[in-house]
Amino acid sequence: MKLKLPDSIASPQDVTALLFEVKEYSQWFAHESIKIESHIKHVSKSPELSTGAKILLQELSDKKPITKESLDELIGVLNKYCDNAPIMTITLAAPATNSVKEILVAWCRTNLAKNTLVNFQFNTSLLGGMVVRFGSHIFDWSFRRQILANKNNFPKVLRHV
Amino acid sequence: MELTILQIFLMIDIFVMGALADMAIRHAYAHFKQPQKQIEEKAPLKDKPQVADHLPAKVRERLIESSQIHFQSVLNRSATTLERDLKTTTSKMTKQLDKVGSEIILSEMKRYRGDLEALRKQAEAIIENAQRDVVEHQDELKTEMAKKQADLEAKLKDEIIAEKQELAGQIDSKLSNAVASFLVETMQHEIDLGAQTAYLTKMLDEHKAELVKELMDEA
Repeated sequence: MKLKLPDSIASPQDVTALLFEVKEYSQWFAHESIKIESHIKHVSKSPELSTGAKILLQELSDKKPITKESLDELIGVLNKYCDNAPIMTITLAAPATNSVKEILVAWCRTNLAKNTLVNFQFNTSLLGGMVVRFGSHIFDWSFRRQILANKNNFPKVLRHV
Repeated sequence: MELTILQIFLMIDIFVMGALADMAIRHAYAHFKQPQKQIEEKAPLKDKPQVADHLPAKVRERLIESSQIHFQSVLNRSATTLERDLKTTTSKMTKQLDKVGSEIILSEMKRYRGDLEALRKQAEAIIENAQRDVVEHQDELKTEMAKKQADLEAKLKDEIIAEKQELAGQIDSKLSNAVASFLVETMQHEIDLGAQTAYLTKMLDEHKAELVKELMDEA
């Protein structure tokens, strides 16, 4: 089963939350299936799902009807996803908005790996840009680093003011 | 006053000298005219033989010689006495003149010294007054200088503070402009996070190879 998470599901925490929702939905679905088989008319309300979970289940239902087995398979895939996905940590100068998150996650899943997960953090001292930690490397593309790297140009700029 | 007494004294001396000179002239005149007188006096004797006729010629001649010798001796003694008196008078007058001169000199010196002393005291008083005036003037000048110096220092301090504030303002303004320019020139894109998306993706694109390599290494 190939799983394509929406870009709004970015971090391992998001996947864990999604997994929790899917498990809850699966449990509800199992109960409802048993009720149907037992001809019990009472139908309990489905659990509240997030947008990401809805999209994921919609994609699943588009391929084939949702069954207990397909949900279990999805849970298994999500568990593997959490265990195997490459994780990138991006630190920005301010809390990342959803749009920024989605753009960056989409880039990572397009150019690096489809199952890439991204943790977002923020540090105001960066001023701007970002610091990316991926694997054992840290890539500092923050404005702070650029300013400090170019501080020798300060007198030159000062003379031109 | 001193000069008047000196004049009187000199006049008295001149008078005494005149009297002495007159006496000397009389004596001299008597001395040089006496032989003729004696001759004239002797002539009546010859004309009056009745008085000396009873004396022998030799006796009479000896008496005449004796009288002449005696007269000569008296005359000589008188001349000698006169000469001695004149010398004594001259000596006394000289001494007196010396004494008077000395007194005059002493008095003049005393007066001169008194005048000098008075002048010296006057000069000292003037100098003291001048020194006191100078000291007072110096004190006034010092006070005025200190006041002016304090005023100038306060004014200078205010000016320095004002200039310092102005310079600090200029420096702040220039520094702000410089920092802003520096940041703009260094970053060359918006600091707003929403506007950084292109920059962020651009940086990811530029380092894509490194990220892929890292991903492969991790795998």
